[in-house]
Amino acid sequence: MTDQDEKLSFLLDDHAGENANADLDEVMGDVNLQYRARRYRMIGEVMRHELPKAIDTNFHASVMAQIRNQDLQPATRPVVTETGPGNSSILSWIGLKPFAGLAVAASVAIVTVALWQPLKQEPGLGDGGLVSADQQKIQQLAKQQIQGGVVTASTRVQPLGMRWKVEREMPELQQKLNAYLVTHTEYSNSMQSLIPQARVAGFDSQQ
Amino acid sequence: MGTSLLDAELVKRVQAGETGAFDILVQKYQHKVINLVGRFVSDPAECQDIAQDAFIKAYRAIGNFRGDSQFYTWLYRIAANTAKNYLASRARKSPGYTIDVDDAEHFEGESGLKEFANPESLLLTDEIRATIFSAIEKLPDDLKSAITLRELDGLSYEEIAEVMDCPIGTVRSRIFRARDVIDKELRPLLE
Repeated sequence: MTDQDEKLSFLLDDHAGENANADLDEVMGDVNLQYRARRYRMIGEVMRHELPKAIDTNFHASVMAQIRNQDLQPATRPVVTETGPGNSSILSWIGLKPFAGLAVAASVAIVTVALWQPLKQEPGLGDGGLVSADQQKIQQLAKQQIQGGVVTASTRVQPLGMRWKVEREMPELQQKLNAYLVTHTEYSNSMQSLIPQARVAGFDSQQ
Repeated sequence: MGTSLLDAELVKRVQAGETGAFDILVQKYQHKVINLVGRFVSDPAECQDIAQDAFIKAYRAIGNFRGDSQFYTWLYRIAANTAKNYLASRARKSPGYTIDVDDAEHFEGESGLKEFANPESLLLTDEIRATIFSAIEKLPDDLKSAITLRELDGLSYEEIAEVMDCPIGTVRSRIFRARDVIDKELRPLLE
């Protein structure tokens, strides 16, 4: 029974007062005091039935050995899980591929939504006429650069219930839509996480 | 039982680069973490591995610990998530129980550790338990009351002083003397 042991008892109970830091320095610098602290704690664990069925007296040493061997440092940012071994350039491409795939999927979705909008006939336009807002949207999409060239297309679309029919006189628009689907298919075949490509297909509410 | 000040100081030291402070935290909470993981995983070797993983994750992430919660609360979450992730990846349940993964941490049944895992450590643990209980029984009443109120009921020194109608200094002394007597019986088993 020493003064040091008594101070240790107070420290463990958070009753060290003003000398807490100095007492803690002593404990951290003295392995015998650390062992004693462990035994003191064990008394409480046994009384509360918190002791595991099988204790490993070297557990903490194993943990610290791993930390030292791996030269781990406390992180200040969230830890990122490694994706696995491999060429760094391939890894960076694989890392970007899901995002590229998502971008393509989003483009397909925009096109699909744009083409699925219900038709309203503007007065004076007759069959095949489009609501002006939809017309503008499709024109915007049609003018977007794809595969090296700007594809312009007339955007006459004939309504059939809820189904859009791309007339044969608009091959450029057909090409553009097919290009989106083809590109998306390439990605979806290679990435398990992507949903299958959206097929540009509608349904006829009248059927 | 409030040990938040000691934990806060230890965490601060770890964040400042004192690895030894983390060793103290591991020694303090290793059995609690192992018990927690043991509710998810029955195999003792896997239990130890998962608990070690949890402490290593905690060490790596301790720079992000801001002290908004108690250190053990934060550590508990890491350990529980580590165990759940292990279960999810292995896609298996503790033999003999069909409890849901999310309920496992609240399961107050057996620890799930296999009886035949490690005879020496099982024997040692049994001996430790028996020695401590035997030593407590032999304590004088005032020391026994003080240590019981502290360790079992979790009362502060001030509360114990009120219950036992004695000064706080006397409480401190009684608790220390009780620990010292028990430690004399316990020390030979662990050296």
